[in-house]
Amino acid sequence: MRAIATLRSPSRAKHVDKLMRGVLWVIALGFILVLAVFVGAILHQGWPVLRLDFLTRMPETLEAGGGIKPQIFNSIYLVLLSLGFSLPIGLGAGVYMAEYAGKGRTLNFFRLCIETLAATPSIVLALFGMIVFVQTLGWSFSIRSGALTLALLNIPVITRVTEVSLMGVPRELKEASYGLGATKLQTILKVALPYAATGILTGLVLTAGRAFGESAILVFTAGTNTSAIFPDFRLTVPGETLSVHLWYVTSDGTLPDAREIAAGTAAVMILVLLILNLSVRFLDRAIRRRTR
Amino acid sequence: MNDSPESSLVAPALLLELPAADRLTPAPPEFRQSRLHRLADRWSHLVFLTCSLLVVALIGGILFFLSARGLAAFLPLAGNTGRTLSFAEVFLSTDWAPSSDHFGILPFLGGSLAVTGLALLLAAPTGILTGVFIAKLAPSWMRSLMRQVMDLLVGIPSVVYGIFGLTIILPLVSHSFLKDAPASGFAISAMILSVMIVPTIVSLATDAFEGLPLSLDEGSQALGSSRWQAIWHVLIPAARPRLLTACVLGLGRAIGEAMAVQMVIGNNPQWIALMRDFTDRAPFLRALFTPAATLTTELVQELPNTPTGSPWNNVLFAMGLLLYLLTMVLILATRRFGRSEVA
Repeated sequence: MRAIATLRSPSRAKHVDKLMRGVLWVIALGFILVLAVFVGAILHQGWPVLRLDFLTRMPETLEAGGGIKPQIFNSIYLVLLSLGFSLPIGLGAGVYMAEYAGKGRTLNFFRLCIETLAATPSIVLALFGMIVFVQTLGWSFSIRSGALTLALLNIPVITRVTEVSLMGVPRELKEASYGLGATKLQTILKVALPYAATGILTGLVLTAGRAFGESAILVFTAGTNTSAIFPDFRLTVPGETLSVHLWYVTSDGTLPDAREIAAGTAAVMILVLLILNLSVRFLDRAIRRRTR
Repeated sequence: MNDSPESSLVAPALLLELPAADRLTPAPPEFRQSRLHRLADRWSHLVFLTCSLLVVALIGGILFFLSARGLAAFLPLAGNTGRTLSFAEVFLSTDWAPSSDHFGILPFLGGSLAVTGLALLLAAPTGILTGVFIAKLAPSWMRSLMRQVMDLLVGIPSVVYGIFGLTIILPLVSHSFLKDAPASGFAISAMILSVMIVPTIVSLATDAFEGLPLSLDEGSQALGSSRWQAIWHVLIPAARPRLLTACVLGLGRAIGEAMAVQMVIGNNPQWIALMRDFTDRAPFLRALFTPAATLTTELVQELPNTPTGSPWNNVLFAMGLLLYLLTMVLILATRRFGRSEVA
């Protein structure tokens, strides 16, 4: 009945159809515009500040003209450390879910846990890290507290990516491996994981990007200071990253050139993310070429 | 876990067998290796299982530690050095004045709901329509362009969204149509949040529409419906459970977002009184530009300044616990929508 009613006047339907197609195009183009304006504005604001000595100088605490050298180092260092902690666990859990857990309740339960962890707000992870690492273990605001808490953010993403990539491995490949007498572990390590490696790598780059941009977690675990030494590889010193620096200079307000520093830092972060996204696209293309 | 006794029974047997076989015929190296491999195969299972169990333990661990600190506000636990509060004076009061011993968190709860609701109001329709556009209407170049746009939007860090709102949108809105009054508040926060959560909704909605059987499309076209009629009357209703899931996950992202919102919302725990004042004197739209606060922004704003163990500090942790429980409820809700039933 309803279908007949809506299909009764074809000319009106045609007009509505045209109109709504237009609306959909406008919405989609609107999002492209939003992104373009966003990236354009951030880069435009930050461009005058982006000089080499902004990137290679130590920050100032009260005067204008500080750089972001230690923040760049801390960002990279923390991302690598957190990936180092989360990669083995994420890979292991992903392998278990794809290859061992079967299809029943166990898998469902683990998936639920991964989804919950993935959906947990980063501020909640920050509170957890603050209670456990900063206070209970007495590590105070330090690189190790930050890296371990940041790892909690990465684990669900890496697990999911590993699981999905392993699911994409053709069954024939695995069966051929079993047919040659390989054990399950050998098949996973020497056949399935290498095949899935590019997919996992893509996920890793995206995870690194997410960890790079994370701020809420690090404000509460890695602190808003940097070591006076550069480069400082110690795990016990506080490690302010680029994103935390960006937030801190704007909300703290003691620096006379806080606005310029924030603009420059934002531009650096956008550039890094553009580069990461481009590399993901290249990886993706490499996968497609191989599977074709 | 229940595999461990079984494998430990088998493992010694294999080890004992090995020397005997060795004595009879010198085994080729590959043979011994394969025995070792079989052993490794048995035990590696446990390694992978441990990784998975660690994730489960994390979920429980977060709950435990947050509860220990959050519930200390209401119970005379070890973590409580001040007075114990009652549930009513925390959850049913709008009076937040920690320095004079009032800890009502309703303003933050209300703020979170308002910002999230507004953001979802903007992001859900546009996100779902973009999803349908990508899945069913767009030419292939537009499809891949939209995918990249959404990938970039989701990758932009929240502080960069925040700085964009703070240094570009706020001054613009304030100068253009607020007569230079500060523009911080619900409207701008919700706008920024909606851009942040739209990629989540778009990608899940696209998956939902692409997962529908083609026969639905073909059937409605065979009945003479236009493309839009097929989308509106057939495809969207058919994808509804998964679209609902998309919106709920978007909602979860929005409610937990801290830094971007903190930078533009104005951080005013007394926003309810201020809004009443505003709307008495000015049109209702002005209420959207009331500086306010949410659960997450208040945590970012005040947690570093409060002494550990004080009721103030404990109530803040209780707010974190509330956020965590909310996440769990939302995730369980998506399960109820029957995602697996469609997929």
